[in-house]
Amino acid sequence: MKAINIFIIFLLLIPNKFLKSEVFNSDEILVQENGRVKPFDTFARNNLLAILSKRSLKSSALPNSYSEKQMSASDWLFEISTKPYQAHNHRIFNIQNPELVRSMGLDWDDKHLFTAEEVLLGLQNKIEYINKIQNLDESQLSSFDELMLRLYRNFVLYQELKYSLSCLLPIIPINNNEIALLMDVENNTKVSYYNIISKIDRLRLPIQNMLDKESNNWDVTEQSLSQILMQMKEINQDKFAQKLKLIPPQEESKDDIWLSPWEIVEKSDIDNNQKRVINSLEKLINAKIKNDRDEELLAMSSYSQSVDPNYRNYFTFFKIQKEVWLNKTKIFIKSTMFYLLAFLLLSISWIVKPKFLKLTALIMLVFGSILHSYGIILRVIIMARPPVSTLYESIIFVNLISVIFALILEFKRRDGVGIFVGSVCGIVLHYVGFGYANDGDTLGMLVAVLNSNFWLATHVTTITTGYGASLFAGLLGHIYLVQAFMYPNDNKYLKTLSKNMLGATLFALFFTLFGTILGGIWADQSWGRFWGWDPKENGALLIVMWQIMLLHMRITGMAKPQGFAFGLILNNIVVVMAWFGVNLLSVGLHSYGFASGIARNLIIFTILELSIGVILYFLVIKNIKSRFT
Amino acid sequence: MMYLIIVGTIAQKNMSLFAVQEKYFSSFIIWYWYFPFPGLRLSMILMFFNLSGFFINKNLWKIKKSGIILMHLGVMMLLIGGGLTGVFSKEGSMMIEEGKSTNYIEDYNLSELAIVNISSQSYDEFTIFGQSMLKRDAKLESDNFNFTIEIENYMKNSEVVAREKSDNKNLKGMMKNLIIQEIAPSKEEHLNIPGVTFYIKNTNTESDGYYGVFLSQSVPQSIRINDKEYIIILRKERTYLPFSIELYDFKKIMHPGTNIAKSYSSEVYLNDNEISRTTLIQMNEPLRYKGYTLYQSSFIEGEINDISVLAVVKNYGRLFPYISSCIICLGLLIHLLTKLPILFIKERI
Repeated sequence: MKAINIFIIFLLLIPNKFLKSEVFNSDEILVQENGRVKPFDTFARNNLLAILSKRSLKSSALPNSYSEKQMSASDWLFEISTKPYQAHNHRIFNIQNPELVRSMGLDWDDKHLFTAEEVLLGLQNKIEYINKIQNLDESQLSSFDELMLRLYRNFVLYQELKYSLSCLLPIIPINNNEIALLMDVENNTKVSYYNIISKIDRLRLPIQNMLDKESNNWDVTEQSLSQILMQMKEINQDKFAQKLKLIPPQEESKDDIWLSPWEIVEKSDIDNNQKRVINSLEKLINAKIKNDRDEELLAMSSYSQSVDPNYRNYFTFFKIQKEVWLNKTKIFIKSTMFYLLAFLLLSISWIVKPKFLKLTALIMLVFGSILHSYGIILRVIIMARPPVSTLYESIIFVNLISVIFALILEFKRRDGVGIFVGSVCGIVLHYVGFGYANDGDTLGMLVAVLNSNFWLATHVTTITTGYGASLFAGLLGHIYLVQAFMYPNDNKYLKTLSKNMLGATLFALFFTLFGTILGGIWADQSWGRFWGWDPKENGALLIVMWQIMLLHMRITGMAKPQGFAFGLILNNIVVVMAWFGVNLLSVGLHSYGFASGIARNLIIFTILELSIGVILYFLVIKNIKSRFT
Repeated sequence: MMYLIIVGTIAQKNMSLFAVQEKYFSSFIIWYWYFPFPGLRLSMILMFFNLSGFFINKNLWKIKKSGIILMHLGVMMLLIGGGLTGVFSKEGSMMIEEGKSTNYIEDYNLSELAIVNISSQSYDEFTIFGQSMLKRDAKLESDNFNFTIEIENYMKNSEVVAREKSDNKNLKGMMKNLIIQEIAPSKEEHLNIPGVTFYIKNTNTESDGYYGVFLSQSVPQSIRINDKEYIIILRKERTYLPFSIELYDFKKIMHPGTNIAKSYSSEVYLNDNEISRTTLIQMNEPLRYKGYTLYQSSFIEGEINDISVLAVVKNYGRLFPYISSCIICLGLLIHLLTKLPILFIKERI
């Protein structure tokens, strides 16, 4: 019952302002990217991640004049896109190759961060070379060429982001009373490109008159009109910048394709709703330029009311706000910290033995796992799909499963083994997950084959639960061998541990087998074959067979508990090979998430596990033999 | 068996899936140089007998062990099902252009040589030789025509290159200017272009000579013998279905603003003498009819009409995996539930 109390207290403590209000923040503006409507904050983070490989700007990337220590991705994006014609000194281009830096005529330093201006100068030196390698086939590129091309593409991306709002910026001065009257704006103000385009009909006649005359016969009005047109022509060069899809589709239109401000400017038919969105965005931009907080709030409330009716509902507000919250709180890092704390407290409790330390460790572990599951639940709500559909998601889910198994074990045993297993799993797998999170957007869309919520929910979830249970059993195997080596006489302890191992293996077997079979049924339903010898299928089959073999060897007595524990350690290797290793082959249906650094890590893991297993096993065997002789 | 699966999986990096299956998974014996090694099919059969031996055990027949019994029974059924599928199932692909109708499936890997007599106004007379007959020096004869085809070579994958000098063979057709030469099979099975070279003999006309054809040749090889005209085509082995499928419309839906497909679907008209109806075949939702299952598998985008590619499977052992996996899982669950209290006793230390 204690556990339930803790849980309730914790729920009250979660900083869960359930829904702030039905007004978006400026970093919650809806943007469509990669097939999904997401908050501006996520969009900014993804793009910054592509350029800088970080999700926010740290002090090393910020100009010296900037007073604060950190800048969020959305602040940065607002900054460059609302002031595109100024020079920006953010050092956001992360070039880690000294050869590349020197070849562009830049100075190499240990921060290897460069501003857009520096990169532009450097790229201009190499533009012929870039043109040459752009047309080559991917296989012909050297690693230097690849880095060069990536830098070039990142720079283009940066430019595109920077100029994406320029048609909404008030930068064209109106200095003529007559034109101001025609345009229905005050004289001596500045208006945006979009503003003039939307009222171009009213200017059509004066423009026509102007064009009919020789330029030296123009009167004052016509001269200022021509100046305006010249400026517009200049701004019009930015129209390639169509990355930021801010404007919802027309209400009647069937396709769900959002438009960027520049695409809207080019279009003739804009419905009222789209107009309202643009107007409130213009207001927001003005507020951002002036740095006026009150005006920004006003603009955002008008934005929230004008946003597409399909998105103007409680659920979207909830989802978008939660996604930004998830971005900002970095919930999985927090949960790692709790796991780390639990591990440290447990270690201390082994040295000095006050009971409450162990209890606190347990509470920390529970806190960590609650944060962990809350993060996963939010992701499920945001994406409206089951928890596991990418490699990254499988890692955080497997992690949670093994922690939960560990918690169950702890409640049964109450001697710290569960806390140990749980915190170790939690820390290690979270660490692996962070590596994958840095590869890019962790909330991407799925290809058609996988687009089946039912099967994702059943097959994938079961099989990953199986992985989690297997890893948990594997860790128990480690503990058993260590215990058998250190305290070979504590028979009762070893006996219970051995039973727990057996139970965990049965669990793991059930889930992997059931998951594999469900996968077969999915395949049969969708492709007409139950089994296709796909690498991932074979991997799962190997896990199942290894576990069956272990169980049979245990039952028939071919393997003693220590042998069984050794087998479970090896089972970890089998699981990791089936999970990550098969991606190295890059064939088959399941080869999502290919990463090049993975091979080295896999080899390290295999050697490590193998040597730990072998050494411990032989130490234990030696111990037993010496006791009998 | 585990060794086989590992080797077979890793081999997929270099070989096509079909070749791997043939070598490791569907074989009885693998020859490593001169040393035989049991293939997966043989291992599975051995395992089946091993499992049946399990039931002889007298101590087994107790209610407590019902979970275990069920599990092993399920595994046996799974093996039977696998065997049935492996031996009897039939699969192939069906390509239909929008507005057209098709009533046959094409094999993924095997090809056949078709000799078509097109002399008659009202019908074409087909004579088919399957891939198993297209072997070096094989003589192909038939009542339908009065000449002999002698195969010179059958190539799994081939390319066509310009002929630089003529040799002393009696070159005919496109072979006058070209050579069909063998190249290493591609890793992607569907990229292979089989080719066949052969002599036509005993026609007693000018048409005797050395010919060559390859898969999906744009202009078919035709020969004229006296007043009869034949065309010779190498094509994917066809199996005719008891019904035909007409494609009305193929649709591809993308995730908005991306190149990632969200779904593909084909609106088809199923034409059978008994029942005819319109249905929609899409990803994860196949059409099942008369034991055949038709899946949306791929597509070819054309300028005017798209071509939809359906995978067609007829599988006799289809139900076995379902039943047996239910049994296995049930058995495991029972076993788990009866064993759990013993394995996780609250024992405080």
